[in-house]
Amino acid sequence: MPWSISMNIATTSLGTLPMNKGYLLAASLAPLLGATQTLPLATAIGACAVMMIGLHQVALVPLRNRLKGAAHMLASLLLLAALASCLQLALRAWLLPVALLLGPYPALLCLPCLVADYLLPQEGRWRSLLLNLAGLLAACLLLGACRQWLAEGLGLHLASLAPGALLLLGLLLALYNHLRPGTAHPRRQGKR
Amino acid sequence: MRTAGLLLVTAVLALSTALIWREWTLPAVSQAEKQLQSRQRLAVLPEGSYDNLPLDTPLPRPASHRPHSRIVAAYRATLAGKPAAIVLVTQAQGYAGPVVLSIAIAPDGRLIGSQVVEQQESPGLGGRLADPQVNWLKQFANRRLSDHWALKRDQGDFDQLAGATVTSRAVIEALQDALVYFDEHRHDLLGDPANE
Repeated sequence: MPWSISMNIATTSLGTLPMNKGYLLAASLAPLLGATQTLPLATAIGACAVMMIGLHQVALVPLRNRLKGAAHMLASLLLLAALASCLQLALRAWLLPVALLLGPYPALLCLPCLVADYLLPQEGRWRSLLLNLAGLLAACLLLGACRQWLAEGLGLHLASLAPGALLLLGLLLALYNHLRPGTAHPRRQGKR
Repeated sequence: MRTAGLLLVTAVLALSTALIWREWTLPAVSQAEKQLQSRQRLAVLPEGSYDNLPLDTPLPRPASHRPHSRIVAAYRATLAGKPAAIVLVTQAQGYAGPVVLSIAIAPDGRLIGSQVVEQQESPGLGGRLADPQVNWLKQFANRRLSDHWALKRDQGDFDQLAGATVTSRAVIEALQDALVYFDEHRHDLLGDPANE
């Protein structure tokens, strides 16, 4: 999960928050925990997230330089409403059993869309978006695979419930932090 | 001014896209819903045990309000023209909301099987009603009205779902209601026996 790969120097025009601390992951927490009971379900919500966030960014391209501030936010919300409705309808039309299992979570993907739009840096925007989306998709798939394996393979009932998913996500992130290459742990900086 | 114009264009485009998309997916959505409904309601019948399309001819259901549940729909499955099973869709009040069950009853009054069509019970407790691994509803297969329809803690024949007494009682009562209903309306449900 490339949450913290580069992008430290890039800043947005709206603020100085770099998109490198897993904000997207945090904003996607509800769908990530609520709709990843099994691998197929996790794949579905992951694909929905990638599609929603990607399409939202593409649709905002012609508006980015022309609308600022509140007007930009309003346009962004309008586009999101349309996108979420279309996604919900498409799911119901072609994947109804999955749509029923996903429940309200595809609509909740609007929040990560807004967060991504707000926090993505101006420079290297698309590269950063792709990295973050890849990370989000990987988190979904990994969580889905682990939950299904724990719940069905090992009979660990907790893994199929949301609290178990939160614990598991924490463990996975800790594992990632432990294994990731590159930057040293903050506490170790300066000792090298 | 230019901002307002752009916003208006965005709003119109977003709204029209959503509406066109809705119009375009509407047939697919309704067909998918119909398919899912028929799959859910007829899943109680073993494959190949019927050769008609039961959902196309719902049966009339007089006096559908039972003491603990309500018969929502009734269908007759036939094999080579003879009634093979009656499928009753019944709605009972569970712990968190209505529980809709699909119940198949053989012409001799034996319960073939039952399945959950809809439920909003607590996940992990009453929600395990629909869990295929627990398969709690299996214990009711091949039971008859003459059995003792209650939980063991109520001096009956059946195990309960752990931690979900209200749900368990509601389901057992709904199943018993359905069997009683079948018994009372056997001739209407199975069709005129004189033709057989």
